[in-house]
Amino acid sequence: MSSRSSARLGRSIALHLFLTPLALIWLFPLWMMVVFSTMPDNGIFSPGIELLPHGNFIDNFNNLQRDTNFVGAIGISVSVAVTYTILSVLLTSMAGWALARYQFFGKGAVVAIILGTITLPYAVVLIPQFIMVARDFKLANTWVALIVPPLFNSLGVLFMRQSFSMMPDDLFDAARVEGVKEWRIFLFVALPLARPMLAALAIILFLASWNNYLWPLLINSQPGSMTAPVALGTLIGLTKVSWGGIMAGAVMLTVPMLVVFVLLQRHFIAGIAAGAVK
Amino acid sequence: MATVTLTNVVKRFGVFEVVHGASMDIKDGEFVVFVGPSGCGKSTLLRMIAGLEDISGGEIAIGGKVVNDVEAADRGIAMVFQSYALYPHMSVEQNLSFGLRMTGNPKADTERRVKRAAEILRISELMDRRPKKLSGGQRQRVAIGRAIVREPQVFLFDEPLSNLDAELRVQMRVEISRLHKELGTTMIYVTHDQTEAMTLADRIVVMRAGHIEQIGQPLDLYDNPDNQFVAGFVGSPKMNFIKGRVVGHDAPGVVVELAGQEKTRITQPLTGTAPEIGSPKIGSKVIVGVRPEHFGNAGEGDADLVVAIDVIEHLGGTSFLYARTANGDDVVIQRDAAKVPDTSEITVSIRKSYLFDEKGLRLR
Amino acid sequence: MRNRNATAYRFLTPYLLIFAIFWVWPIISSFMISFQATRTVPWRFAPSFNWGRLIGDPAFFNALKNTLLILVIQVPVMISLALVMAVLLNSPLLKARGLYRFAFFAPVVVGEVAYSAVFRLMFNLDFGIINKLLNSVGLPKIDWFSNVTPAMALIMIAVTWRWAGYNAIILLAGMQSIPEDVYEAATLDRVSKLKQFFYITLPLLKPVIVFCLVLSIIGTMQLFTEPFLITERGGPGGGTETLGLLLYRQGFRSLNFGYASAVAYTMAGLAIAITLAQLWLTREPK
Repeated sequence: MSSRSSARLGRSIALHLFLTPLALIWLFPLWMMVVFSTMPDNGIFSPGIELLPHGNFIDNFNNLQRDTNFVGAIGISVSVAVTYTILSVLLTSMAGWALARYQFFGKGAVVAIILGTITLPYAVVLIPQFIMVARDFKLANTWVALIVPPLFNSLGVLFMRQSFSMMPDDLFDAARVEGVKEWRIFLFVALPLARPMLAALAIILFLASWNNYLWPLLINSQPGSMTAPVALGTLIGLTKVSWGGIMAGAVMLTVPMLVVFVLLQRHFIAGIAAGAVK
Repeated sequence: MATVTLTNVVKRFGVFEVVHGASMDIKDGEFVVFVGPSGCGKSTLLRMIAGLEDISGGEIAIGGKVVNDVEAADRGIAMVFQSYALYPHMSVEQNLSFGLRMTGNPKADTERRVKRAAEILRISELMDRRPKKLSGGQRQRVAIGRAIVREPQVFLFDEPLSNLDAELRVQMRVEISRLHKELGTTMIYVTHDQTEAMTLADRIVVMRAGHIEQIGQPLDLYDNPDNQFVAGFVGSPKMNFIKGRVVGHDAPGVVVELAGQEKTRITQPLTGTAPEIGSPKIGSKVIVGVRPEHFGNAGEGDADLVVAIDVIEHLGGTSFLYARTANGDDVVIQRDAAKVPDTSEITVSIRKSYLFDEKGLRLR
Repeated sequence: MRNRNATAYRFLTPYLLIFAIFWVWPIISSFMISFQATRTVPWRFAPSFNWGRLIGDPAFFNALKNTLLILVIQVPVMISLALVMAVLLNSPLLKARGLYRFAFFAPVVVGEVAYSAVFRLMFNLDFGIINKLLNSVGLPKIDWFSNVTPAMALIMIAVTWRWAGYNAIILLAGMQSIPEDVYEAATLDRVSKLKQFFYITLPLLKPVIVFCLVLSIIGTMQLFTEPFLITERGGPGGGTETLGLLLYRQGFRSLNFGYASAVAYTMAGLAIAITLAQLWLTREPK
């Protein structure tokens, strides 16, 4: 073996020796989540070290369902996340399209405002948003309250603007010359071409809605209208509660997303990385 | 089919003016080529005719109707883009029919038009393919097909051949020529390639820096350019420009001495110079233009010239001599391959020349 | 491009409408509410009521101190870690890249509630796996929830676990957009890999790093769920109470919207100030 390739081998071994323990540490909480979800409560709170799954998931789930109507909450979460994703993709891509493809009065101001909101903490709008939705619109504990206020999303618009402005001008001009109306150009030319970007955006938006905690916690606090994370959150800190059940709930919230992540990793990463490569 | 009339058309981007008042009349069924170096405003002008750019000033009329405020779609035009602009997610058939489908054209008529266009361009067997699966030439045909399907009054072409390799370019050029004969529709064609302009056009519009330099038939521009720019732009290889000085009057013309060549004097009759330019004074500097093909053997022409040869290019039938005058002006001389000298210096004669004043305006 | 005001605004209207109703108005309203005494009916204008209280409120300074402490320690640690992850994941020598990527990026999809619950169990005093592991290697147990320092450390560990991979994704994408030939040229010039990192990667990655920093600072500034769920409403005894939690307590437990709005504006002011300082410190030399 040449000295060059043995040096490479040495570096490669060092790399894996460092990265493998780090990766295991990083996976550990997820692994433990699965382990806990399959252990009876007296197993979780016992002095022994348990690192392998048991067979108690169904019991734990039944306990969870007894503590809170988790299936119902999952139903709300799924419906809200799906509706939110569809609406938000539509809204953001329309806005992104306008900003990428048209010259119009006030464009600079609109872009500046959107950029500005990235650095503005959500906390600033939280209280008036709550007062408005709950007191003025009387929409607390409804789906509308969960779906509509979070529809404003600045990173998504910037991502779609970027996506549309990278497409060749001629494509849209060709359609224009052919007499195709602007909204049809958007629907039948631009959107199909943006499919990978739309997939990335949809995944990120779905995840955001699925995991959203603070706003649903505030606005939909009635037991029958809670989303799954809120329902699960109410159990944490209670004294007489099944921790195995909580873990079963955590697994049900997390594992589907992990599967989606593995299947659509490329889109996922593209969606998150969107902020960086501009 | 329709005429296209431009009256003082101006385009500004902000304060920056890129087209400074272009006017022309394009006859019904005419093939007009806009030609000029990149950035001369030819594409902008075409896009204004198409309705893809706003018109900052002046008027554009198609078929006698002013279209300044008419949407692109309603101007009766079809356009072929440099990048082809084929919809990558649609088959050839869908690409051809997209515009008609989207604007609610009756289905049977759409099918008829698509079929006809496919036949004209011989792409019937490609109808189910996506653009990605087509060769450059095939994509070009589909792009043209999409224009034909619209049955427009005017065809607009924006550098349609510049993405093709040299061989295909010649082939498609012939094809477009054939198409024009077959359809007889008005066509406006933008290119930076003077060969395309010369071979395709009924009339050529030469543009530079947002100005129209000259409009005329191809051979008119070649034989009778209005200025040094047009003279240099039309013809390949380029016209040679040699510095000179007016040394005498010889009614109705002038006598010009080439710089550094006291013995080379050309007598140029001047009858048609525009009155505002006037006749050049003795001692004023001028430029003598000679096309490579207008050099002859010593003694054959108006004046003889000694040049030093740098490089000789043999193309087979003809050869090009790259040489320098005593004053250092580069010249290209076209010769029969058989008559290429093996000396480093050669005496050639100037059989035909053009005279330009210092600003590049033609003296004639 | 033609000017198309009407068309453009037709596409923008739904988005701008949501923006106006749920952001523009709240931003203004929140500012006005912060000058009102909101525990009387009706609310009345009292400019110094909330802001005056803020200046003298030990709970506010406690939350501010905790938030800044987390910010100052956790954000740099996390970004450095993310940078290390990104560099190593980008190494051509790495085998089974997909597995490592999964390990580091997976926390990105985990919800705050789910992981807060897991961390609570893992760090439990008597039965948590962490303390059991510490014990098994001969170290003493740590009472993560009753002492302030370990509780703060726990919050930082949790947040770092959740967000390091997220930042690594952004940094990795940034690194991959640096053209390969720059490195090839440097290699031919005999520049070592380490020096390539410091003199090529870091400078070219600066805008991306700043982007990550800004996002992380704004995120950490609003930290709420972790101290709310993991350390039990900011325990022990307010030891991990953050500004986000204070805002929640004041606004939604005590229904003191005016005071909570003042807290919110303080957070916004800090976020903007830190962001601007950040941009100013890392500005491109003229």
